[in-house]
Parts: sequence; structure tokens; C-alpha cells
Amino acid sequence: MAKDITIFTTNTCGYCSMVKRYLQSKGMTYQEVNLDTNPERQKEALELSGALTVPVTVVTKDDDSKEVVVGFNLAKLAPAVA
Amino acid sequence: MSEEKPKVNQVVMIGAGPAALTAAVYTTREDIQTLLFEKGVIGGLAAITDWVDNYPGFAKGIAGLELAEALRLQAERFGAQIELGEVMGLKCEGDHIKLDTTSGDILAETVLIATGSDYKKINVPGEKEFYARGVHYCATCDGAFYRDKRLVVVGGGNSAVQEAIFLTRFATKIDLLVRSKMRASDVLQKELEKHKDKITVHLGTTTDEIVGEDGKVTKVVGTDTATGKKVEFATDGVFIFVGLMPNTQFLKDSQVELDEVGLIKTNTSLETTMPGVFAAGDVRSGATMQIASAVGEGATAALMIRKHIEDKHQTHEMHSVPATY
Repeated sequence: MAKDITIFTTNTCGYCSMVKRYLQSKGMTYQEVNLDTNPERQKEALELSGALTVPVTVVTKDDDSKEVVVGFNLAKLAPAVA
Repeated sequence: MSEEKPKVNQVVMIGAGPAALTAAVYTTREDIQTLLFEKGVIGGLAAITDWVDNYPGFAKGIAGLELAEALRLQAERFGAQIELGEVMGLKCEGDHIKLDTTSGDILAETVLIATGSDYKKINVPGEKEFYARGVHYCATCDGAFYRDKRLVVVGGGNSAVQEAIFLTRFATKIDLLVRSKMRASDVLQKELEKHKDKITVHLGTTTDEIVGEDGKVTKVVGTDTATGKKVEFATDGVFIFVGLMPNTQFLKDSQVELDEVGLIKTNTSLETTMPGVFAAGDVRSGATMQIASAVGEGATAALMIRKHIEDKHQTHEMHSVPATY
């Protein structure tokens, strides 16, 4: 089970909308970090994902382990938040 | 005990870009049950395009994401169901079409393939190695990481110019590398002129290699085709927009025939070589790769699908009524 879900997004990113839509369709809540309004957190997104891209979804599990999903990748996102 | 009959969808649409969403508006308004599968972004390439200036009805243009959202809402208003998932293959099964999907096998009376296209790769050294770490294909997704940085944009068509202009809101300097000559519309080229303080256009310049150090892109090496000399562009990142590649890999074992570049062949009714399977939008052979055309093809496909369903049901009724002479 996911204890916490954080998504790094930007205003213009279509794939970010898809991640949010997917989580909403599953009734899941999440925190959003918009990098357009919080550019100082870009480094954090990069360190977590190793990539200069959004969306980056960070799923914190019950045992506090973290799983990071880069992009809108259902094959990875669905099991990560299940 | 009688076995439960499996559900047969009236129409399954593969993809949820402008062509499929328009088709869905038409089919659902005719009360034809419609299910769409989307594995990427609803709205397709339009949704990740910064700004759409040539779609009729929007005097000032519209953000691609906003247009995609409006199309989705319109299709859903009439009852279209959009499932986030992938179709891996399709084949005929009796009177129906069986689709192999991430939600399991599903049956359909008719299918519309509207999977669109993705941006092509240029297949040069460094492109794969620095993917998403300095090499990008989506400016609206990744541009924000290049505030106050230098960029190279590769391509000379509408997408390359449009996205280079978008990237000026972040980058301090952009080198636009165009292999031969500019193919972008006159309007976009005029717009490009307004950004010449930031964008420098290099016509007749190939992109041969993307070079980096310590995991970061540092430069692009190309060739000036007029002189044959190597040229270098210092940069922090590269955005590539050099044309489109159709999303038809999942059809390789199907009856749907493709042309030499992998686009789907259709007849004048937009029906493919597989009966009951139609295609529309950027994925169709002969498509003009325009949102307005995709929308038109979506509407046409929907009307052809309706006719196909009606003809099929009429044939069934004729066969179920004993002939009287």
C-alpha cells in the first residue's frame, strides 16, 4: 500500500495530467509539486529520478521504502501504487 | 448451466487523440456504445504541443493541453468511456474482433485505430545514452529544466519551430539545427524572426553526435553541408523534432496492412484491410498530420462505423427471417 504519493509536475505537461487522472480514478490522494511555481525543487526531482523530465511520481510505501516512476508509465505506476 | 455470453463492445477505439475523441463524440451521440483505450496521453501529440494556432474556431489559438481536455470532456459528455491501458494486438474471432489488452481480451463489433504517431529518433551517437538526461522529445514536459541554459533544437518543420519558440521562455540561447531547408509554415517562420535575439537558425546543418561529460550533455557535433566542415554547438540539452513515426508496431501480426513507412492503408471509407477495422488521423497512410484533418477523419470514420454496424445488423436480420417466395 502507498502511504504517500508525491508527483512532480509542470503547468504544460500533458503526461502529468495523465498521472493525476489515473490516481484520481483509483480514488488515491497525492501531493503535487509544481516545478513552474517551485523551481527550487527541480534538483530534488532530478536526484530522485535521475532524469530531467516530469512527471516524476514518488510512492512511499508502508515500510517507508520509496518507488520512483518516471513519465506516465502505467506498467510501472499501477503496481507501484497498488 | 448456460455459459454467460461475453460482452461485445459496439466500437473499441485504440488511442484517444483528436481523431478518436471526435469519432467518439459522433458514435456516442448515435447511441453507439464506445470504449477508448489510451496508453499515453489523452489528446495525443496535440496535448503535449505548447500552442495550437491553426485549429479553426480559436481566433487567438489554444494551448494543446486545453484543446485535448475540451475534446475529452465533449466525448465523455455523450458517454464515451476512456480506459487507460494498452492494446497489444487484434484478430478476427467469428463475427467479432478480439483485442488483446492490458485489461484482458475484449470483443468488439468494430474497431477504430487512431494511435497517431510519436516523434522520430535521429539515431546518432549520444541520443540513447542521454535520453531524458539531456536529450528530449517533449518541450512542454522537460523545458522547465533548462531555465537560463543553452539548448539545441533539431528540426526545421512546424513542430521544431513551434517548440523552439516555446523553449525561449526558459533558455537563454537556442541553436536551431536544420538539416536542409526550413519547412515550417510562413507564419511560424515570421514568428521565429521575433525571437532572433535567442534563436539562431543554422540551415544545412546535420546533427551527427550528442556529446557529454559526467552524465551531462555538453555539445552537439554536426556538419555544415555546404562546406563539409564539422561544426560544434555548446549546449546543456537537445530537443529533437524531426518528423513522426506511426504507432503501428502492435499491428505487425494482424491482418491490417501497412504501407512502406508503417502507416495503415485504408480505402475511401477509411476501412483497413481487416473487415470492421477502421483507421483515422496521423496513423493512416495519406494523413496530413494536422489536428484539423484528424478531427475530420474521426468524424468520417464514425459515420462509416455506424454504416458498418447497421449493414451488419441488417444482414443478420435478413438471415434470421425465413425466406418467403
